[in-house]
Amino acid sequence: MKTDMSKIIISEEDFLKFREYFYRKTGINFETTKRYFVDKRLIERIEATDSGDFRSYFIMMRFQASGAELQLLTNLMTVNETYFLREDYQFDCLVNSILPELVKRKTDNRPIRIWCIPSSSGEEPYTIAMYLMERWSGIHQWDVEILSSDIDTGILNKARIGRYSARSVMHVPAPWLVKYFTRVGDEYQICQDLREAVEFTRVNLAEPTDTRGYRNFDIIFCRNLLIYFDDLSRKTAAEVFFDALIPGGFVCLGHAESMSRISSLYKVRKFPQAIVYQKSLESR
Amino acid sequence: MAFIKKQAQPSTEQTQSTPETRDCQSLLKQLSSSDSTERRWAARDLVECPECANALMQRLKIETENSVREVILTTLTRMGDPVAIAGMVDCLRSEDAALRNEVVEAMKQLPLEVAPMMLGLLADPDPDVRIFAVNVLESLCHPEVESWLISVITDDAHVNVCATAVDLLGEVGSSNAIQTLEQLKARFSEEPYIQFAADLALRRINEN
Repeated sequence: MKTDMSKIIISEEDFLKFREYFYRKTGINFETTKRYFVDKRLIERIEATDSGDFRSYFIMMRFQASGAELQLLTNLMTVNETYFLREDYQFDCLVNSILPELVKRKTDNRPIRIWCIPSSSGEEPYTIAMYLMERWSGIHQWDVEILSSDIDTGILNKARIGRYSARSVMHVPAPWLVKYFTRVGDEYQICQDLREAVEFTRVNLAEPTDTRGYRNFDIIFCRNLLIYFDDLSRKTAAEVFFDALIPGGFVCLGHAESMSRISSLYKVRKFPQAIVYQKSLESR
Repeated sequence: MAFIKKQAQPSTEQTQSTPETRDCQSLLKQLSSSDSTERRWAARDLVECPECANALMQRLKIETENSVREVILTTLTRMGDPVAIAGMVDCLRSEDAALRNEVVEAMKQLPLEVAPMMLGLLADPDPDVRIFAVNVLESLCHPEVESWLISVITDDAHVNVCATAVDLLGEVGSSNAIQTLEQLKARFSEEPYIQFAADLALRRINEN
């Protein structure tokens, strides 16, 4: 029997209780202005699980051994809107400035490792793969690993499938669209080669056991995620990236984000195409 | 294509993190390691060991590697317990300016935990500590900030403490502060900076 949604009320106290719990588990902090967004999704899950009211739902979610409901709710609460070649000046910076500098000082044959977080539905890691193929001659000399992570398991599945709307691919140059996509009805399917070029994993940046194994990256793209975090969670994320990078590795943030306001661990690097942040070569 | 997928997984090497070596006692030992990476990882993982807040505090006072200090402070901020707060307060008396600034920034993240200690800090015999306490108020999201600042400019005898407080009142003050600002001007009538800063604060408050 379905619960009558119109009768489910999320009180101010419920909202604050949920917000505090969700923040502790994910590092994502909802301002009061997001109340409608949060309430709507909570009510949706209360209804779907036939919990009846917030209290029953919250207890079920909080004490569920599998954590499945929290994961489901996390998937609903995270914003996943993006598109191919978004803020492409940073990809120009990647192929024209960052990678040339990295390979110039490389003394081993270790693959170049790139970590994208959040992955969202895969547009960013696939864009990087296309950029490397089309605009970086070094791809013929160097092996590259691209790892793409997100807290939302649903969106990771979507990324692995690689099927996109016309809106999502609207900035993809026509020759790339022909080369890397197949039109399927109103949608675009990314090619198998690119799907195989990116590994997708589930990661919660606020969870030390999740991030401990992420090491030896040359470049991290973390764009438009930290704006959803509070100061302390941003700082924690910056420290996770610091340990994930090799000495001299780079972090690229979104255009509205600045590492200088978050942490003193990084050097600011002003390249002609973009400002990025670097772990110093002397760091360990 | 030169893309590699098989190896594109979280690295399993050198995480020094097998479960048996990540218990609190082992982490405490690693916190004193000669390897800064090991100390940094220990400081991060000690967030699960609230009883180790004091050990983290002691390490913070002698730690020279900036990245380890930063992680220790993040861990202490996440703990936010009375031991961590007391340790931070203690660091406000340090001769190490960088450490004091880092601690001020950390305390700003803990409004509810720091609030009970604020009156004591603002009455500290050391004027430098009182100035740092006002610095903490700069970004402390707490409803008492304005009334604390008003009490500082009412009672504090030290001109530099009052100057710091009046600067901040110009940003966060309301009409509640007007009378006290006028009294401050009278109390420090020979101090040009106080006259200037109080006038500026009054103008800003009146504009709002």
